[in-house]
Amino acid sequence: MTWRPGAAVVPRRIDGYAPIEQYAAIGDGRTVALVAADGAIDWWCLPDIDGAAVCWSLLDADGGGRFTLAPTTAHTVSRRYVPNTNVLETTFTTATGAVRVTDALLLGQPGLAPLRELYRRIDGVSGRVTMRWQLSPRFDFGATPTHLVRRAGVPVAQGRGQALAVCSWDAGDPELRPTQLSAQFSLDAGECAGILLAYARGEPLVLPPRAEVDERLRETCRTWREWATSRSHDGPWREAVVRSALALKLLVYAPSGALAAAATTALPELLGGERNWDYRYCWVRDSAFILDTLTSLGCAPEAEAFFWWLMHASQLTHPRLQVLYRLDGGPQATETELALNGYRGSRPVRVGNAASQQLQLDVYGDLLEAAWRYAHTCGTIDPEIARRLAQTADLVAEIWRQPDSGIWEVRSEPQHFTQSKMMCAIALERAVALADLGVLPNRHVARWRAEALAVRDFVELNCWCEDAGAYVRSAGSTDLDASVLLAVLFGYAPPADERLRSTVDAIGERLAHGPFVARYTGDDGLAGTEGAFLACSFWLVEALARTGRRARATALFEELLTHANDVGLYAEEVDPDSGAFLGNFPQGLTHLALISAATALSIKEGQP
Amino acid sequence: MMVWGAVAGGFAGTLVLTTLLRAASELSLTRIDLPFLLGTALTSDRRRAKALGYVLHFAVGQLFAFGYLGLFVVIGHSGWLLGAVFGLTHGLFSITALVNVLLPVVHPRMGSTYTAAGSSPLLEPPGFLMRNYGARTPEITIAAHIAYGALVGGLISLAA
Repeated sequence: MTWRPGAAVVPRRIDGYAPIEQYAAIGDGRTVALVAADGAIDWWCLPDIDGAAVCWSLLDADGGGRFTLAPTTAHTVSRRYVPNTNVLETTFTTATGAVRVTDALLLGQPGLAPLRELYRRIDGVSGRVTMRWQLSPRFDFGATPTHLVRRAGVPVAQGRGQALAVCSWDAGDPELRPTQLSAQFSLDAGECAGILLAYARGEPLVLPPRAEVDERLRETCRTWREWATSRSHDGPWREAVVRSALALKLLVYAPSGALAAAATTALPELLGGERNWDYRYCWVRDSAFILDTLTSLGCAPEAEAFFWWLMHASQLTHPRLQVLYRLDGGPQATETELALNGYRGSRPVRVGNAASQQLQLDVYGDLLEAAWRYAHTCGTIDPEIARRLAQTADLVAEIWRQPDSGIWEVRSEPQHFTQSKMMCAIALERAVALADLGVLPNRHVARWRAEALAVRDFVELNCWCEDAGAYVRSAGSTDLDASVLLAVLFGYAPPADERLRSTVDAIGERLAHGPFVARYTGDDGLAGTEGAFLACSFWLVEALARTGRRARATALFEELLTHANDVGLYAEEVDPDSGAFLGNFPQGLTHLALISAATALSIKEGQP
Repeated sequence: MMVWGAVAGGFAGTLVLTTLLRAASELSLTRIDLPFLLGTALTSDRRRAKALGYVLHFAVGQLFAFGYLGLFVVIGHSGWLLGAVFGLTHGLFSITALVNVLLPVVHPRMGSTYTAAGSSPLLEPPGFLMRNYGARTPEITIAAHIAYGALVGGLISLAA
């Protein structure tokens, strides 16, 4: 499947599960829903992106909640996002006519809007088409009973402390059964129908009139369009960059400014395997990328909101950083397993993420790099934050000699990961640079300098392998690790550095499968293997570009662009043989890496 | 004379309340910072927000102290214990309604559960019982308000 907006898609299901690449995401800055190519909404968490799902047949096709909507007869499907928006248009064409379904999570203005509302508007395009829809809501991943009743003639699904009203207009008379409701209706060209799911929690349900809902849909499109067209990127790949920016905006949790790593949990990195993690948290490791990308796209308010959130969230664990924080800024992310079948039998289905308790030294480099970029691009750092950043640098000077779990959060024994050490050097050097600018207190600058040199000595002595011709995965190892590419992206050494260039080449040769790059070779404490990591593929593009191999980088980038799905989205990983998506979806880090690579390629040679 | 007791109590009570919350923040028990929350309603400049926030916070402390005074006059009794009970009620009201519900509605830079993709607030909402600012925030805030109420009640009764 490749990104050709409006191109036909052949909807598929295997054992009731749609391929991950057949999903499109819609969202409102608070939660995200996934719509399959066959018109089914298989994923929707409420009230927020990290909440419990009401539609979760993505993780359990037999018992999960789902909202289907499709013609009753054979049909073809094409879809696209309404240009420059996160509003999805799916066109179903049958032998008798065509309809267009517009799916959106509405942004809440104007009028009295429900806490969350998902709208499916169906427009007759040509001829006459009979449609059927069916909703099986299951609150809290099915952990609490869901009852379907009628309130003032409106079907309402009730769960503990929450309710979902189903308002429909010209979409048939819904038939209520104990656990689902369904209806059928026909639409001629020019006619239109609508189905709205209005959600309430801790407050009475709001049942909006149709005119207000249509007005909010127009306003939602206008808001997205205004945001997307304001993005500053003038390179040749603007369309892909703006689509990635919109995908990232879907993952920004607007109430706090945090960016979720992905919209889903437990989508497997290996089908049937155990590598099924919850990514609905914000990772500190992404922070420098997030700030850099947001500022390069001219998203100053989002960048500022994110930095404020980052500094607030990390306050509770200061000076230590957690690997990840909840979107509301909380530090708890207790990992539990749900008794669900899992995507195509991939169990366990985890919610929460135990990686939050790991030691990952690279996050300190990411935080200080983010602070350095913030100070240069967004605004001032006040004395209290500066004091905390200095204490963080002191901590790095103290703990960098410890082994850690590394950027990839391995569940094997901690090691001296090369990328972790490199990011410690960057942390200390950025602290020195900020102190030189007068931003950070300079009492411990001499120590930071000395320890940064010591880290570099450690890396050069222990993490370079002459036989491999590369900085290896960890001290004394012969394995390779694509995260070392970040040394180029974060300026660990000049692009002309021979060891760095050689490492980029080695990774491009030994970790690449076609255009796709695997994360690492060697053990990680888990059974089985995984697909290629898409962010690493884009990092290779950027590393090649920054080390002067622009033609090769451009060719690789353009090839990777053809592996987006039909609406321009990427997952965490891809099966290099089949091109099928693996892992959580849509994945923020992949889209961040795409934008960063496009930006690097768009900079003329010789420019900084 | 009770008026001066309210003034002194409002000042001392706010001082102790602020100090307790600040100490809890330094001990990484909570991220609540009332002067900062108040100040950022007026400016996004962190330094100015804190300075303005402290002025506002002490002014609000005085307002509440006069509210307590009014209640003491109506009841016809004052004292540190009754003040502590008022403080407890005040603290509970703060974490369940005042800061949790009302502040996000009126604060121009704070997100709320209704904030959607069209905007980028700079401050995260407090959440139920203000737990978004740390799991220990409710008890710390209530304890600080009890101390505030006890001081206001005690100083008003001393001045009576």
